[in-house]
Formats: sequence, structure tokens, C-alpha cells
Amino acid sequence: MIEQYGPLVERLLSGAFICPFSDPDNYRRLQNDEVRQALDEYLRPLNRRLAQSQGSGVYFLGYLTFDEQARDVLKSQFSQTLQSLMPLLEWMLMVQEALGRDGALTAGDSIKLQEFVLKTEDNQSLRHRLQLLANDRFFNSQADSVDAQVKQIFKRLREHGYVRQPHAERQYFEVTGKVDYLVDLVRFIRDEENLPVSDEAEQEALL
Amino acid sequence: MVSATQPEFREQQLTSSMLALGTERLALIGKHSSLLMQAYLQGELAESQLSDRAIRKLVQANLIYQPDESRGFILRPQLADLIASMVTDENRRHINADVADKLETIRLRVKTYRDAQQRGDTTKAQFQLQLLTGLVHDLGGQFGEAIDSLWHRLNSNFGFVASLADKIRENHRAQQQIGRLLDGLNYVDFAELIALGEGDVHLRKLLVSQLQRQLNAHHSSLLEVQRRLVQLMGRYREQQARSVLLTNMASFLREHSNFQVGDYAWRSQVPELINQAQPIVPAAAISLDQHAAVEVATGLMANMPRPALNKESVPSEQAERVATVANQEVEARQQALKADVEALLLHVVDQQGKQQAGVSALQYRREKNLNWDAEVWLLQILGEYQSLPPQQRHLFSLRRDEQRAHPFNDLLLIADLELSFQPASQGQAQSLT
Repeated sequence: MIEQYGPLVERLLSGAFICPFSDPDNYRRLQNDEVRQALDEYLRPLNRRLAQSQGSGVYFLGYLTFDEQARDVLKSQFSQTLQSLMPLLEWMLMVQEALGRDGALTAGDSIKLQEFVLKTEDNQSLRHRLQLLANDRFFNSQADSVDAQVKQIFKRLREHGYVRQPHAERQYFEVTGKVDYLVDLVRFIRDEENLPVSDEAEQEALL
Repeated sequence: MVSATQPEFREQQLTSSMLALGTERLALIGKHSSLLMQAYLQGELAESQLSDRAIRKLVQANLIYQPDESRGFILRPQLADLIASMVTDENRRHINADVADKLETIRLRVKTYRDAQQRGDTTKAQFQLQLLTGLVHDLGGQFGEAIDSLWHRLNSNFGFVASLADKIRENHRAQQQIGRLLDGLNYVDFAELIALGEGDVHLRKLLVSQLQRQLNAHHSSLLEVQRRLVQLMGRYREQQARSVLLTNMASFLREHSNFQVGDYAWRSQVPELINQAQPIVPAAAISLDQHAAVEVATGLMANMPRPALNKESVPSEQAERVATVANQEVEARQQALKADVEALLLHVVDQQGKQQAGVSALQYRREKNLNWDAEVWLLQILGEYQSLPPQQRHLFSLRRDEQRAHPFNDLLLIADLELSFQPASQGQAQSLT
């Protein structure tokens, strides 16, 4: 049975996050208990197992047992994620603000690059923030124009799996479940470290 | 037909004058539709575009009024409600949850109807029944309109307001409206309706089967909308919480630039969320030590597109020597020749296992009706064979059918070439040059 899941296994092994938006077919397959068991069985010799984020439900591969090597990898990986956290949060907030969205970005949202560029060019404060964001080590853009900076930002986001580009020649992106995973992570860090970071809106008398 | 009595005649007169007046006034709405609609949107009627007479007529028709001297004319609430309902403007659509008044009127009408029947005044009874029917329809329609408005707001995801906070407020308002509507429905006492309709077929049909059925349907609709609204509210709250969380986390990180977290990776219980294994890219190459793999490899090679093969095969000096011809026409022929040799190689791969002996170059030339000179053909095969990358070259065995030029001359002339495809495991290529 495992043979038919070859491409899925390969995607998982490559470090991909499987969410209902980026890979609906495989996500559906992973909803099946038997498939998950078969995959875990198959991954056992590689010291890998299927993991799922509780909040967002995305699937990815984790270690089965934590030997020294695995722990070192996790440590360095997590510190990298932390370093990218600030620029990623800033990116999410900027998109929400520039495009006048209701809530924070979430899996399945679509972003038209041109719209984002236009809105940012029109707004001095957003331009300034974009400049800072693009210069961040995570995005690492040397460009001066808004257009080039935005393109570099989305290129890096695509490389890291936070967005996908359904058509290679069209500048249109879709947010993947990895963004939701990031929000899970923020909530987790907040709780673990007891950070004074509330998620409650200012109380309104009406509500 | 009994001739019309005095009061009946009056009633008929009244009806016909009402018909005339209503028609005239409805036409008034149509006549000034554009201005009235602008007044609906802008809040005030553009008086300058109307004559005094026209304004007077609109006021008389109860369509507009002047709330006080300092302000201009505005639409009467009934007209604004009508427009809001017609254009499904959820910002201003009015929901009427008042049931008690209508129920009271129904009781009254039933009494009047029964009195008229007892007196034997069928015409009056008939008229009362007609009014009663209208009333029952009104009551049903009132809920229908409210439910329609609620669904519309729900399905449009409260699209008529922009911000999330406004959507939460609107959702809250809608839920309160549902609460009032449900309260209104609770006023309706079906036992009372049954009692009211007792002994009269028409009343029973109207009050029990029709009204009760309608209100039951509305009741379950309302519960469904309520459930969906609560669900949607949950999503809004979640969205809001998420947005607030990210904003606050970002500002926290901004203020604490050297913020450090615990060493989660070395905890005895590694949190699931950070347990993200390092990527493994499964590398693989074709192995030819299995029969199945050989078949796959054969298939792959046969299907390999030619340009790719061209790119990979770096021409050897020998092949180049043959190829260095300036003339374009010759070059085209040269390309065709090369292509034919490649086709031969693929043919050889295809033949693997199908025949014992190798493929004779000259025989292949005959079979395919290639009109290359035998010497050119053989030379090109040798050249192409040489220019194959070593790994690929080793997959072919090439045997030369040679003859001495003369009994006293050791020069060997190649009479033919025999090619076969031979994966490495099945023995070394026989006659490498």
C-alpha cells in the first residue's frame, strides 16, 4: 500500500508541510488512519514519524526518538525559525494592513503582488516599513524599488513554503498552512515563556 | 345576487376611491424614483429639482416629511424601509419583531367575523375573513422578511461593513434580533389559535394549518440562522484573537530584541510543535543488477528525448572531424546522419533480449532504406559510439567485422559493425577499441 504514497513520502521527507490548501489530495490521504500508520511504519527506520500541529492541522515529519544529533538539529532549526519570526510577523501585519484585510493572514488567503506593491507605493509609512523588512537578513534584498523588494520577499517566502505560486508566470500567491503553523508557534512560545502578549481585543462595552 | 345594501355600497365606494388614490400615489414614487432614491442614499431630498407642487404631493402621500424647519425633506421611515428591503440594504433593513399587536388584531377580527356569521351577514363575514387572511399572511411575511434579511447578511459574511470589529458588532446585533423574533414567536399560543378556529373550516384552515405550519417553519429557520451566526461569530473572534496576538507578539519582539526562549530541544519531552525533522532528499540512480530495473532502464532510454541525448554526448575528436564541414547543406545532411545513428542505438537498446546476435549496421541500413554510403555510415557509427559518455558506451558492445585489405597487407578494412546492448552486469563489453 505504501508504494502509491511515494510522492507524498518524498514531499514529507523533503521537509514540506502538507496542508489542505497547498496539497489537498495528499492532505486528504493523510486524514486516513491507515495511511498514517503505514507511513509511520515506513518512516520508522529513518527515525521519522508523521507529526501534526494541533492548532492548524498541518502535517510534517518529526523525529521518532531524540538522539543527540536529532536534538542538535531541532535546536538549530528552532533558533533559525525564531530569527525569522520577527520578519515573518511583520510581513503578515504589513499585508493585512496594506490590503485592508479583516484579520491576520491565514491559509488559503490569496495575495496579488501588484495590489500589494501599489498599496505600499502609495503609503509613505508602509514604504518605509517595507524597506526595513526587505533589508532583514531573512529576506535579504539589496533592491531599492518597491517592486523588486516585494518580489524578493515573496520569492523567499515561497522557498520557505509560507506561500505558493499556483502559476509560475503569474504574480499571484496563496498562503499555505505553514503560516498557520507559525501562529501556533507564536501562541506556544507565548504560553511557554509566559509572555505578556494578549490575544484579547480591547473590551468593548457592547460585547 | 342580492342588491347592495347601504353600508355595503359605501364600502364599495370607499374601495374604489382608495384604488384611485393608491394608484396615483404609487405612480408618484415611480415618477420621482431617481430623486427619492438619491434622498434615500444622501439623507435629504434635493428640493431644488422639484416644483413646490410636486413636493406638496409627496408630502400628502406620506412619502416625505420635514422633521423641523432647519432641515430639508427626508423620506418617511415606511418608504425607507420599503427601499431597504427592495435593494437588500442590510445596513438599514428594518426587522419587525412585534407580534403581540398583530395577535391582538387577529383575535379582534375573529370576533367580528363570528358576530357577522351569527347575524347571517355573509358579505361582512367574507370581508372580515379576507382581512384576517391578509393579517395571517402579514405575520408570516414579517418573519419571512426578517429571516431573509438574516440569511442575506450571513451569506454575504456581513460584507456591507468593512472592519472585523464592525462585523462582530453586526453579528451581535443580528443575534439580538433573532432573540426578539424567537420571543415574538413564543407569544403565539397554538392552543389559543385552535380554540379560535374551532367549529369553522375557514378559520381552522387559516389559523391552524396555515399559520401554524408557517410559524413552525420560521421557527426552525431562525434556530438554524442562529446556529450559523454563533458559528461565524466564533470564527470572527478567532480571527480577531489571531490578529491581536500577532500584533502584540510583534511589538513584544520589537521591544525585546534579545529575547531568548528555553531550550525546548533538550527537554525530556520535546514539544510536538518544534519536532520538525531535517529534510532528507532521497537520491536514487538506476541500478542494473535486477532484471526489472534493466527493463525500466531500457524503457527510460528508449523514451529519452533526443535533444537531451545530444546535449549529453560530448562529441569526440573523431566525430568532430567528420562533422567539421562548412557547407550548410552538408551540415544538414550531417545532422540527419547523426540522428539516424542515434535511432540505430535506440533500436539496439530495444532489441536487447529479443534476439541473440547483435544488430548489423549494414543490415539495419538496408532495412530502414537509409541511403548513406556504407563507409560514411560505418564511420559515423564509430564516431558516435566513441563520443558517448563512458558509462553509456559501456552499455553497448560493438564488434567489428574486419577483413585484411590484402593477403600481404595487414591493413584491416571494416566490412560491417555489429552492435548489441549489454548492461554492465552481464559481462564486459566485448570489443572496446
